[in-house]
Amino acid sequence: MMKIDIAHILPDIKSLPPFPEVTQKVIATLDDPEVGIQELVEIVQYDPNLTANILKMSNSAYFGFPREVHSLNQALLYLGTQNLFKIIIASGATRLYGRCCNGYILDQGELWRHSVSTAVMASVISRWLGVPDGALLFTAALLHDIGKLVLDYYVHDAFTEIMALVKEGNYAFQEAERAVIGIDHAAVGGEIARQWNFPDKIRLAIAYHHLESPEALKNDLALLVYLADLLVIILGANLGVDGLAYRGHPWVMKHFGLRVRHLEQLLALFWPEMQKAQEFFNLDFRV
Amino acid sequence: MQITVGVADMQVTNNPQAVLVTHSLGSCMGVAVYDPQVRVGGILHYMLPEASLDGNKSTEKPLMFADTGIPLLFKECYRYGAVKSRMIVKIAGGSQIMDSGCFFNIGKRNYAALRKIFLRNNVLIKNEDIGGFSPRTLYLQISTGKVWVKITGEGEKLL
Repeated sequence: MMKIDIAHILPDIKSLPPFPEVTQKVIATLDDPEVGIQELVEIVQYDPNLTANILKMSNSAYFGFPREVHSLNQALLYLGTQNLFKIIIASGATRLYGRCCNGYILDQGELWRHSVSTAVMASVISRWLGVPDGALLFTAALLHDIGKLVLDYYVHDAFTEIMALVKEGNYAFQEAERAVIGIDHAAVGGEIARQWNFPDKIRLAIAYHHLESPEALKNDLALLVYLADLLVIILGANLGVDGLAYRGHPWVMKHFGLRVRHLEQLLALFWPEMQKAQEFFNLDFRV
Repeated sequence: MQITVGVADMQVTNNPQAVLVTHSLGSCMGVAVYDPQVRVGGILHYMLPEASLDGNKSTEKPLMFADTGIPLLFKECYRYGAVKSRMIVKIAGGSQIMDSGCFFNIGKRNYAALRKIFLRNNVLIKNEDIGGFSPRTLYLQISTGKVWVKITGEGEKLL
């Protein structure tokens, strides 16, 4: 197969269903500490689907508010800025993730389920470690595999060669993507983030989520997304043909001071959280 | 009629129409047991080796762990008239990521926990499909006791 580079896939990125304008606006402000709830309200209030999603999520077990939320104002009061960010971004992302990925052999909705699982796991890990469980991490985790949407066609065509390297050559899946196609899904995801003007922190966490760059080791957001993704992969739900063919890097454990037993505790905490997060799969797809 | 066994869950039945199925076995283990004489079968899908990991979870979610889940699976089969000496045991799961330092080997630990419990209780494993990088789906047909696994991108394999 002829190897390709980033320039080659730019037209493919352009042909992706774009994020709704509201979501793009909100993501661009994620890293801006000045943005307050009032500005978010102004963005949200004219979008009936988004409003419906906010009410739905406010009443879901995931956020677990003690009483039923009936109005947008009430919801915003309970949720706070970070959670509001999460709902708006998740609503926008559902449409993007709506399709199948035949190259990776993912049925419709499976990449979305994996993405939400990773975001939920990232929250569990950050709370366990006592680091902020904010919308920045949630978004980076939710969008970490966005590059698969584009690379899917190329993986489909290079399937036999990639699988031979994984099965017989001891290549991790993204290493095989690079060896055969010339680029991997993390790098493609980073480019999508660039094209869509995501904040740099999110772009880098997506691009580094398999820790292929030495820069990744200094990037806490990338390390958290990597660990969340890896733990979800270990569990085995909603995986494609790449399955568990990814590398565990021991120094991530050292970096966060973790042992195998801690990973097991995180998995035990994750599962009930995931049951509460089911409402993410009932978000309205229309925009 | 398919009956789905969730994660940290089990199902036991003697309904001859039933096929038990459990999806997405990564590091988790699927344990399929069957007594051909009374045609009772069950599947357990557990996540982690030992309930001592978390005192609360073991009582709340005994099916999450090998050491609390496996006895429950056998006991539930006995309620339907199954007898331990006749029961056929087949297992699948315990996949692993690529891990040079054994820091992430939950699949292996899940398998080891099961071996330990079975050894202590004189239970033999008739057949197994363990390890590797692929997640599996495990099936048990109650009318025949047939057990098989499906692997994404590879197709089905009889156990």
